[in-house]
Amino acid sequence: MEQEVLTIKQKVNEYVLEHTFAEKHKIQDDSLIFKEGYFDSMGFIMLITFIEEEFALKTSDSDLIEENFESINAITSYILRKKTKQ
Amino acid sequence: MKNKDKRPFTKDILVIDNIGAECERIIAGIQENVLHRLHRIGGVIGISGGIDSSVSMALAAKALGTENLLGIMLPEQDSSGDSAKFAQKLADKFGVKAITENITGALQGFGCYERRDEAVKKVLPEYDPNHYKMKIGISSSGLYTNLPPLFSLTIIDNKGNEQSKRIPPNELRQIEAASNFKQRCRMSMLYYHAERLHYAVIGTPNKHEVEQGFFVKNGDGGADVMPIAHLYKTQVYQLAHYLGIPGEIIDRTPTSDTYSAEQTQEEFFFQLPFQQMDLLWYAFKNNYDPLEVGNVMGRTADEVEKVFGGFERKIKTTEYLRMPPLSF
Repeated sequence: MEQEVLTIKQKVNEYVLEHTFAEKHKIQDDSLIFKEGYFDSMGFIMLITFIEEEFALKTSDSDLIEENFESINAITSYILRKKTKQ
Repeated sequence: MKNKDKRPFTKDILVIDNIGAECERIIAGIQENVLHRLHRIGGVIGISGGIDSSVSMALAAKALGTENLLGIMLPEQDSSGDSAKFAQKLADKFGVKAITENITGALQGFGCYERRDEAVKKVLPEYDPNHYKMKIGISSSGLYTNLPPLFSLTIIDNKGNEQSKRIPPNELRQIEAASNFKQRCRMSMLYYHAERLHYAVIGTPNKHEVEQGFFVKNGDGGADVMPIAHLYKTQVYQLAHYLGIPGEIIDRTPTSDTYSAEQTQEEFFFQLPFQQMDLLWYAFKNNYDPLEVGNVMGRTADEVEKVFGGFERKIKTTEYLRMPPLSF
């Protein structure tokens, strides 16, 4: 389980860094990536698409809340919860 | 920054006290820029029957003289029939010569409709442009959250039945890029007439459109002079009443007039009614305290802060639209 968490977090982290062009030290696992304006509408839908494809899960509209996406930690927890339910 | 030295925030803070003086200032600005800086002898303006182009045309007519202004209606197959009707009415009222340039053929040549419909079908395979109308919009539920809104596609059949679905990124980009041919074709046609007449192109965006990036780069963002680019939408309405713009135009709900299904600018981009958008944008630009703004607007400070955060995001993500070509 711990390894799975690490793997998911690493993939999300790599995606976020690659797509925001942010310097590595600026985005921590608990950084509020949406509040800090790293993603616009296109960035958000691209992130959702990445999550759906990479982790083979489907997001519903009710999933699209800040609690699930506000940081790399939140996204990792969300992915884990979704995968557990599947 | 706190607002110690500013006027208290009220719902009337954007009301222009002396509209006549503001109109005269804009008229002088058009004359100075078109005649003396650009050295052009008149203006062409795209008229859609909407409030912004109507007010811009009325001001340009006063500045340049009706004989030195050409109004151009630029419909295509998805345009509302009302647009041409109201635009003609406006031109008649102000005595401005108006012509129609239908750009449907040019758009077909570019593959605008085919490329757009190909992407639409990937999202909703039952879509058939002969039997459905389509539009894209954003959800207003995202307004008081830090998450940006997502775009959804809606198709409407002949009986009025609607289907909507979130649009994946590739399809969203293709639909937008194909649709942007429309504004870029219009810009090309306006410059054709401007160059043959030695006129300037009068652009019609308001303050929100320019600053929040609600325009197409090298499309409706392409113009020589933008006389109302400093005005909030409610101020544009104030000028419309003063200038005698026909009531039917003032009463129309602003639409994007880009997709085959009717779509308001609020549902496509702004997410808020203009009265609220104007006040919140003014408060944001002038660093008003979210608590003070919230008290006036009936919102919590947290909600106002989230709206401000959305504004910041829009400015940042649309910055490239306002940039000139970069050289280094």
